[in-house]
Amino acid sequence: MKQLLIRRLIQSIPTLIGASILVFLVFTLAPGDFLTQMSADANMTQERIDEIRALHGLDQPLYKQYLTWIGNLLTGNFGESVLHRQPVTSVIHIFMWNSFLIAIIVLVLQWMIASIVGILAALRQYSIYDSAVTLLVFMAMSFPSFFLGLLMLKFFAVDYQIFPLGGMRSTGSTLSGWADFWDVMKHLALPVIVLTMLNIGSVTRYFRTNMLEVIRQDYVRTARAKGLKERVVIFKHALRNALLPLITLFALEIPGLFSGAIITERIFNWPGIGRVVLDGIFQRDYPLLMGFTMLLVVLTIVANILADLMYGVADPRVRNR
Amino acid sequence: MKKRSISLFICSLLTGALLLSACTQPAAQQTEQSQQEQNQQGQSQQEQNQAGEKKELGFIKATDPSKVPESAKKRTDTMVLGITDPQGIFNFWFYNTIYDRYVIEAVTERLLSVAKDASVIPGLAEKWEVSEDGLTYSFYIDKRAKFSDGKPVTAEDVSFAYHVLLDPKYDGRTNLSKAKIKGGEAYKNGNASSIEGVKIIDPQTIQVQVEEANATTLLLLGAEIFVLPKHYYGQNYAKGNLAHVKSLHQKPMGSGPYILKEFIPGQEVRLVANENYWKGAPKVKNLIFKSTTDETQIQSLKTGATDFDASITVNADNVEALKELGFVNLDMLLNNGYGYIAINHKLPKFQDKRVRQALMYGLNREEVVYAYSQGYAEVIDVPQSKLSWGYPDESKLTKYTYDPEKAKQLLEEAGWKLEGDGYRYKDGKRFTIQFSASTPNEVNDALIPIAVENYKELGIEFIAEQLEFNAVIDKRDKGEHEMAFLAMGLSTDPDPYGLFHTNGGSNKDSYSNPKVDELLEAGLKEFDQAKRKAIYQEAYEIINDEIPVVFMYQRYNLNAYSSRLSGFVISPYKYFSESLNEIQIN
Repeated sequence: MKQLLIRRLIQSIPTLIGASILVFLVFTLAPGDFLTQMSADANMTQERIDEIRALHGLDQPLYKQYLTWIGNLLTGNFGESVLHRQPVTSVIHIFMWNSFLIAIIVLVLQWMIASIVGILAALRQYSIYDSAVTLLVFMAMSFPSFFLGLLMLKFFAVDYQIFPLGGMRSTGSTLSGWADFWDVMKHLALPVIVLTMLNIGSVTRYFRTNMLEVIRQDYVRTARAKGLKERVVIFKHALRNALLPLITLFALEIPGLFSGAIITERIFNWPGIGRVVLDGIFQRDYPLLMGFTMLLVVLTIVANILADLMYGVADPRVRNR
Repeated sequence: MKKRSISLFICSLLTGALLLSACTQPAAQQTEQSQQEQNQQGQSQQEQNQAGEKKELGFIKATDPSKVPESAKKRTDTMVLGITDPQGIFNFWFYNTIYDRYVIEAVTERLLSVAKDASVIPGLAEKWEVSEDGLTYSFYIDKRAKFSDGKPVTAEDVSFAYHVLLDPKYDGRTNLSKAKIKGGEAYKNGNASSIEGVKIIDPQTIQVQVEEANATTLLLLGAEIFVLPKHYYGQNYAKGNLAHVKSLHQKPMGSGPYILKEFIPGQEVRLVANENYWKGAPKVKNLIFKSTTDETQIQSLKTGATDFDASITVNADNVEALKELGFVNLDMLLNNGYGYIAINHKLPKFQDKRVRQALMYGLNREEVVYAYSQGYAEVIDVPQSKLSWGYPDESKLTKYTYDPEKAKQLLEEAGWKLEGDGYRYKDGKRFTIQFSASTPNEVNDALIPIAVENYKELGIEFIAEQLEFNAVIDKRDKGEHEMAFLAMGLSTDPDPYGLFHTNGGSNKDSYSNPKVDELLEAGLKEFDQAKRKAIYQEAYEIINDEIPVVFMYQRYNLNAYSSRLSGFVISPYKYFSESLNEIQIN
């Protein structure tokens, strides 16, 4: 196990280097930089724009810019966001946890509901329950997120005013402790409901399909033939095997926990990282974009290693190889 | 979680460039105007669907102030102003977006301010003098002026501002080099330890010598200078070391009517009244700038979550929705900027004036602008704001109303002959236009289908290439574009040197006309407004005839506020945020 971990970590080094070059090139080769939009300002002159470019090292050849960036990165310096004029790490720190808060709640809800609904649907394949679940799940999934979000806002925040109209805390709130927690929860409710509805479909389908496949396996038939209780057959023999492929799926959700949900964040005015990064893209905030993308690269690699390890824990066949 | 789409961000791009120079409404003619417009409303209703029909614009008063939501009424000592999320750079020397500027203006103030006709009026300086030779500017700081910590605003602080703005490491958007302060270059690129031309005469008087003055010098030295306390920002300041100044972006301090208490990124900025404000304590104790999005702006006003919003796009749907609320006052004013289609003058096909005129006559601009704005933008024939004193006398300009026949005739004269396939050719080459269309962009969505059809009728093939905004700008900077729709933000002074002079900083289309160059140079050298107006009249007549770019529209900005509040000062060349101390809760 330890060996596997070390091997995987060493293997990920070239991946990281390759990814960093790619990330750097993708952003810097895109036309324009953060000064491009200043050309629509009648007071700006080309000389002044060139001066600012030089101050930010944007006049250097690409390989030099890359080396400076990667060198700083290795010492933990992500650079300064040009849009916020703050260290990239603190911009990410401020906004990412807000996104994470929603994402983690959605993830838990989504997997809990999906597992129950999906397994039940598999056990009663082609029943009315199964068709109803399939229909509902697909309906929820196929709503465009902005439409669902705006609809929810209209019903629950404007017409009935059960939930607040976007934001993370009440305006001017001076609450603390439990009262503050409760305030945040109230603001969380709508975006969490919308995101859960949108995401639940695919996971439900995975659970159902995997479960259906496993139930038809010989070992399940054997277990039944042995006279084991149906509950034991399903939860001990079938479910455990059905979960295996889902480990990968779950692990790959991990980077998503940190990446933010752009549309939902905008509609519910949630101070998350998604919309900050999108503004960064439009206005070419290279340090922020590159730093954030590298962070996601690392998370993805870690998640992959984690998936392999979890596979090993769950399935002895993989472990022994 | 990973679903991403750009489709909702149509506005982001427009905000980027255009809103930076957004502006607002003249106060004096408001009531008269709105009455007139109400009278006209009945008559114009039958023509509702006609393109180019004008909507009632200007000030629309709330019809039913009793509808103010209860939740808003409960805030007896607090006003909540909705704005697009600020980035948290609350220092005028370094800010990027107009939304940060609103907060900046609540906390800090500028040396000189601007009246609604763009003339200069006192700010922190109560008066100013220009020497006989026009090269020495003296500013006298108001003796009452104090920072929020009680210390007086001094010449030392003003001098500090000039030094930071000309610091070799300064990378903000202010371009003080244009003022040509004596010794400024030596300070910026040489060894000088201070700027020679900046002299502190006494604690309240500062003198600035320039090498060369022009009509914009006073604006650059006064109206573009926000004065920040040196005793707060300037600790350890030495040339080339701006680290301390930059570390205070989120903890600003100044002489403004409000004091920043807390900034919660992505959510709100909380400010409290500066009880010692030198012009008298503000009338509302607490001020909160709340971040709103396009999706929640109007709903927030409706539920009482906000009392005001400055970021709502002006279009028929939004105006209608706001009017329906009943308790919201709408204040619409022409934006100090314009939309245009750039033409690359390097290309031989565009070098003939007649061809460019044909492109104006042959495009149904009224229809395009109507499709984009539903009547909330004005078609223009000259690149200047209609509110500026520099706006030329329209009777002497050519009005390019849609006239395909005239366009065809002009093309014919320019040697572009119609062939059997329906297109025009010259020297064996078909007339095609490669249009670089930034996307997503509402104007391009309206423009492209109409342009394709209109220009096809003239025998021109109009091919639109969809690109991201930065890619369009990049192409144009390299001179590789043919035509592209863009928007330009104007400054307070009407001088268009940067745009249409051969050496102009923003003249990326290689437009060049010796007569225009000569006039624009003369306009800058002249200080008398009436004489400058005459010079610009002549320049704009040539520009109007020459068509350096296809002129499109001037759009409107909107300030929407609940009738619970009053006292907003909304003027074309400054933002509501410069007079926050005047606002009161009714």
